This record gives sequence, C-alpha cells and structure tokens, in this order.
Amino acid sequence: MSATLESYVLFELAGSVYGLPSRSVQHIEMFEHVTLVPNANSAIDGVVFSRGQVIPALNLRARFGFPRENNTLRTRIVFATIHDRTVGLIVDTAREFRNLSTENIRPIEETLTGINGKYLKAVTKVADRLVLILDLEAILKVDDVQLTPPAQTALPQTATP
Amino acid sequence: MNEEKPAGLDAELLDDFFAEADEHLLGIRQALLHLETSVGKAQADPKIIEDLFRNFHSFKGISAIVGLGPAEAVAHATEDFLRLMRGGKAQLTAKGLEVLVAATQKLVQLAAAFRARKPLPGYESLLADLRQQCDSSSESAPVSKTLPRPENSPDTALLTKIEEARSRGLLLWKYIFSPSRESKDRGVNVNTVREQLAKAGEILKATPLVKSQGVIEFEFLVAAQDTPTDIAEWEAKGVTVQIAEQEEAAPKPLSPAEAPTLEEETHNPFLAPSHVVRVDLKRLDDLMRITGEMVIHRSRLDAQLGQLHGSRVDLRGVQEVSSSVARSLRELREAIMRVRLVPVAEIFARMPFVVRDLSRQTQKQVRLKLSGQETAIDKYLIERLKDPLLHLVRNAFSHGVETLEERTAASKPAEATIELSAATVGDSVILKVRDDGRGINPNAILRQARKLGLEVPDVMDNAAILKILCASGFSTREDTDRVAGRGVGMAVVYSTVRELGGNLTLESEEGRGTQFNLRLPLTLAIAETLIVRAAGQTCAIPQSFVREILHATEAQIQIVNGIEAISYRAGVLPIVRLAGLFQLKSAPKPKMCVLVITSERGSVGLLTDDILGQREVVVRALRDPLIQVVGITGATELGDGKPVLILDGAALTSGSVRPEGRLDMSEQTN
Repeated sequence: MSATLESYVLFELAGSVYGLPSRSVQHIEMFEHVTLVPNANSAIDGVVFSRGQVIPALNLRARFGFPRENNTLRTRIVFATIHDRTVGLIVDTAREFRNLSTENIRPIEETLTGINGKYLKAVTKVADRLVLILDLEAILKVDDVQLTPPAQTALPQTATP
Repeated sequence: MNEEKPAGLDAELLDDFFAEADEHLLGIRQALLHLETSVGKAQADPKIIEDLFRNFHSFKGISAIVGLGPAEAVAHATEDFLRLMRGGKAQLTAKGLEVLVAATQKLVQLAAAFRARKPLPGYESLLADLRQQCDSSSESAPVSKTLPRPENSPDTALLTKIEEARSRGLLLWKYIFSPSRESKDRGVNVNTVREQLAKAGEILKATPLVKSQGVIEFEFLVAAQDTPTDIAEWEAKGVTVQIAEQEEAAPKPLSPAEAPTLEEETHNPFLAPSHVVRVDLKRLDDLMRITGEMVIHRSRLDAQLGQLHGSRVDLRGVQEVSSSVARSLRELREAIMRVRLVPVAEIFARMPFVVRDLSRQTQKQVRLKLSGQETAIDKYLIERLKDPLLHLVRNAFSHGVETLEERTAASKPAEATIELSAATVGDSVILKVRDDGRGINPNAILRQARKLGLEVPDVMDNAAILKILCASGFSTREDTDRVAGRGVGMAVVYSTVRELGGNLTLESEEGRGTQFNLRLPLTLAIAETLIVRAAGQTCAIPQSFVREILHATEAQIQIVNGIEAISYRAGVLPIVRLAGLFQLKSAPKPKMCVLVITSERGSVGLLTDDILGQREVVVRALRDPLIQVVGITGATELGDGKPVLILDGAALTSGSVRPEGRLDMSEQTN
C-alpha cells in the first residue's frame, strides 16, 4: 500500500507546532505593519494588504487565548484562504513546508482538546513532534467572536467589486 | 458578482460558453434572415448554408464542453439537415426554414434555462421535426410560396432604432392593446391608444397580431424615459404593459411572478453587432483597478519629485509631465466610470409590476410613485441592490400598508402610496423607500425581540427598532403572509448596504408611515479625501463630508450634557476624538485640528492632531466580516503599501456619539 502525501505548512505558536494544508495557504510574509481597526474583534490586530485586497490580520495567539507576544523578526503572517475568504494569521514563526503522509494524520482525540481544541482538526507526528492540524473554518467562524451585532449577520463575502 | 453556476464547472468556462453561444446565435439569426430569400430555389445560397452549418457546429462543440446534452443533440440534428442542403440533396422549403428557426429558438431556450439553472425545456418533438426534414427532403417536398416571416427575425431598421433609443437612456416598453366591446364603448380604439402612447414616449414599432378566432391585438413598442406608473389605467382600457428590455445579466429571477418566461426571452433577439459592445463587468473592474494603481504610482512619482526639490536640476519639465499624466488619469478614470454608470430605472422599472402583482393577490390598493429614475449609479451597485430594494418594497406593501378597513377606520385615503426615489447628494446616492402606512409599532417589535431573546435597548427609537429589524433571524411572525417572508430579509438588506460602503437608516412614525433610507457611494472606486492623523494613526476622510476645518485647543473643549463639544458658530459642535476611536490617547498638543463633518444627519467635529493633506485615493472595500466595523467604509493606501482606513462621515454625524468617541450601531443609525 502506497501512502498518499500531502503538503503542509508548519508553523509555531506558543511552543507547539501547527499545520495547515499548503493548498489553503496563499503565501507567507514577514510581519511588517498592520493598521489598527477600531471596534474590531479583540483577536484582530488590524488589516494588511495582500494582492490588492484588504485582509484582516488575525492574531492566532489571541484567538487561541494565549498571551500576546511582541512581534519579532521571526513573526510571520500566513495568508490562508477558505471559501473565497483570505485571512492573515499572525504566528510566532513559520517553519517549513513538509509532505505528510495522510494515513498518519488522525482525527483529534477528545483528551487533546485544550483551550484551542475546537480549532483543531487532526493531529500527526513529524520526527516525534506532535503537529496539530488547524481547522481553518472554525478559526474564522465569526459566531463565537464578539462583533458589533449587525456585522454578525454579514455573510462571508465572495464577491469581487 | 457571485453568480451561481451549474455545479462542478469553472465559472469562467461557463461565462465563455454564454458569450460564445451568443455570438453563434447571432450569426445563425443573421444567416436565417438572408436565407428567407432562398426559399423554394433549387439551391440555397451556399455561403449562407455554410455559415449556418459552421455556427451550429460550433454551438454543438461548446455545448458538449459544458455538458449541455440537449443543445448538443439539437445542434447535431440541425447540422445533419444542413449537410443535406449543403450537398444540394435538399431544397429549402418554408417548412424547413421554420424548423431551422424553431431549432434556433430551442437553443436559446436551452441556454437560458441552463444559465438560470432551471429545468431544461423538452426538445424531442423538434428533433423529430428535424429528422423528418432530412427524410422528406430527398422526396422534394412541395414548396409553399406564402412564407410566414419568422417571428423573431428582427429587421435592421428597427434594431437601429432600438439601439439608438437605448443609447439615449430610454427604456423600452411593450404595450399590447386588445380591442373589446367595452373598450369600444368607452371610445378607446387603436388610434386613441396610439395617440396616448405617443405622448408617453416614442413609438418604435406597431404590429397587429392576429390571434386565434380572428381576434386582433396591437403591439406597440415604445421607448420612454420613465416607467409607466399608470399601469392600472392602461389595463382598464384593455392595454397590458410589459418591459421589452432584454434580460441579460439577471440569472436570478426577481420573483416567480415577474420572471420572464422562456418564451418571452426568445422574442428578445440579441442586438445586431454594430457600435455597441457588451462588456463583462469584470473587465471594467480590471481597467478600474489598473487605473487605480496608476493613480498611486503617479502619486509616488510626485512624492519622489518632491524630495528632489531644491536640488540643482531643473525639474519643472518633469513636473509638468507628471501633472499632465495626473490629468489624463483623471479623465481615464472618469471615462471608465461613465461606462459603468446606468440609470436606477433598471431596478425601478420592475417595481410597478411587483406592486401590481401584490395588489392582485391582496385587497390593498397601492399607488407606486417613482422619482429620480434617471439617477445614474454604478452597474455593480445596481446588481447588488436589486434584491434589497425588492425586499423593501414588498415589506412596505405587506407590513407597512394597512388593510382597506384599517385605512378607512384611520380616515386615510383608500389608496396607499409607496414612494421609491433616488437622488444624488454629493458623492452619494440616496435611495428612499417610503410608505404612508401604519408605521412601525415599537412595542410589537420589542415583544418579538424579547421572544427571540434578542438584546433589547432601553430606548426604542428608530435606530433601536432598525437594529432589531436587522438582527438575523428577526421576523414578525404575527403578520407574516405569503407576500412577505420570501425575500432576503432585513439582515441581508443591512449587510449588503454596509458592504457596499453605505448605510441604512429608518424613519417611522406610528400611523403615518415608514421610510427606509439607503445611502450609498455613487461610485466605488476613487474618492477625494483629507488625510488626518491622531495618536500615530493615519486615516482618510472623504472630503464630501468635510465642511470646514477649525483649530482648537484642549481649553476650548467643554462638556455639554456629558458630551465633549466646542462652540461653533452660534451653537456647540459635539466632538469625536480620532484617537478615541482607536481607544488611544494623543499626546497633548497646543493646537489641534477639528474637521467639521456634515451629512444630512447633522454635524460633528472630528478632533485630530494633524491634517497631512488632501489626497485622491482608491477605495478598497472591507469584504471580510471580521473587519466590517461601524464607522469605517473602506481602506486605501498612500503609496507605501500600508492600509489606511477611510472613515465613514455619515456614521460619525449620528449626533449621539459618546464622549470618548466610540461608535456603535445605535449611534450609526440614529
């Protein structure tokens, strides 16, 4: 039986390694500048431009309830796309692209669900280190993010102007 | 636009298919027109047959690519028939031509149904007809000399007239007069109808139609500036009114009642090619984006030139060129924008039919008043606003307008009025939907909100009511009838308006009526702004909202009614601190700038540390729900790649902005 490989982007956050399938990652940039947005959700550090679009920069530490840290030269923004929405995820650092064998990726165990359990999809191991595969959809779900009430009703936008 | 496409297919591929299908159908129609003269001749013009063959063949090919099997089959069978004719084995008979026309119509219907994702019409009988033509053609069928003119073959003179009328912004209407004994008794005949129509617009074409049992109807094609609001009057005279506009960019039918049937669509021949080019909106968007980028590059160039200032090189020549480039860019931008502008009549024109249909289903008598139809706004806005406006008109009809008994009891005229208006105010367009109905009962809304567990505000003013109405899941089940409840919901109206960079407000008075105001940017692309700064944050504010710039010191700021304000002219001007918006504190400065922001809702002073200058900026929408916040309409960049937020002047001028300058929904919609 031959194992199927899928490419993942691995990055670090608060001492753990996380992964996202490469096909949902547009590109990765160094953290340079975000523009503050008043009244946005507390996990939103602001907005950045990416390919002419204004993209929210979501602080993954804040989203997961970890303490925020100052941005360093290693801080990266991972531009991830799902359902035609693109969001910049601010992570401690991005490590590498890695082909992971899909058969070793297992659904998340109940016991693993810590504070960020509901944002995880699966787990796998790379060289004896746990890699937590993120559920991008859950991360971007706005229902459990406190927003100004009417904005909550906004549908995910896929339109181009 | 987020047009739904048949599943599993690349949207771009489908767009190409429809565009190509249009082209081939156009070619087929033209060839068929010419072919008429060949009926009965020993051999039809081989060039035209070849042309037809090629078009049907291509149609077959593209249908196969997108998996439109029935169209493939029809085109294939037609090809067989044409092949016989091409080989001289078949003569073109009147019946043969009829079948070719029918096949063309069928292809149009199939493509239209495919696009609208509706069930495909049947085509088997047509295939049988085509096969029969192939079979009988070898026996040299008798030729009929009286060839009925194919119904959908447009004559070119008419097409030119139609095109010319459209280019003048006129709308096309089809008035069908069916004379009856009653109309005759009332002194209405085809001549009086014609005279009255001539007053309403320009009659492009009048066609008598012979119906079954010798009944004759007259069809008038009229080009007019305005939408007829007197449909009921016409109907009383035995005249029905229809839109003769062709249905192109509306894949989603507005409602079952008004959706043109497939049959109607086939009576709308595509326009002949001439100087009119149909352009996909996306291509114009591309042009606009590129122009926007050029504007930014030009600003950077200017900034670079500014840095060279004082050097020994004479820059005057370069600067002159730079400003010429700026001028040309402005013209280019305006030219593209003009192409995108269409009159709101595109939406308004449908409303009389909606209201008429609703009136028929209920006992309510409603007059629809339209104004400002010529107001031109961006095509993208038109597309996005179709459903929200439809929803508001339906709402006005079903929730706003009382029943006949209620109106009589309230001694109001039996006939209610719904008013739909559009007007441009500065850089914005304001659309209003107003009814003279019962108004909104705050207590009923409050009850319902409590039942649904929605957050209930202390004061039920119009803003609070609107907030509840727009909450997702809100619906007053009490009076849901078949008219309401099938629309898009106020939540979607609200989010659409917000997303387009506009805002929605409500004015309602119990017993007097309800009015929804939609304020939208006239164009989406570029705005004149002032760039301001406070506590390290740079923002842009559209200049159209800035009436005046004042200087102020901290000492001048006083607390009035718990709100920070400065004296301004004869009164006081409430202050919003830009730094406060970001929950930041500015370092104390001896002198600060106050921008007097004014909209139709009042004035407010925006307190900033500094004004950096005046800039023409490209507005980028904030599309992600995570960053759609009240008080911000979009973002732009000033050449350094950093987003700069564009403030929403209308939200700032709500008149009840809290002292610390926080904005929320209740303030925004006051």
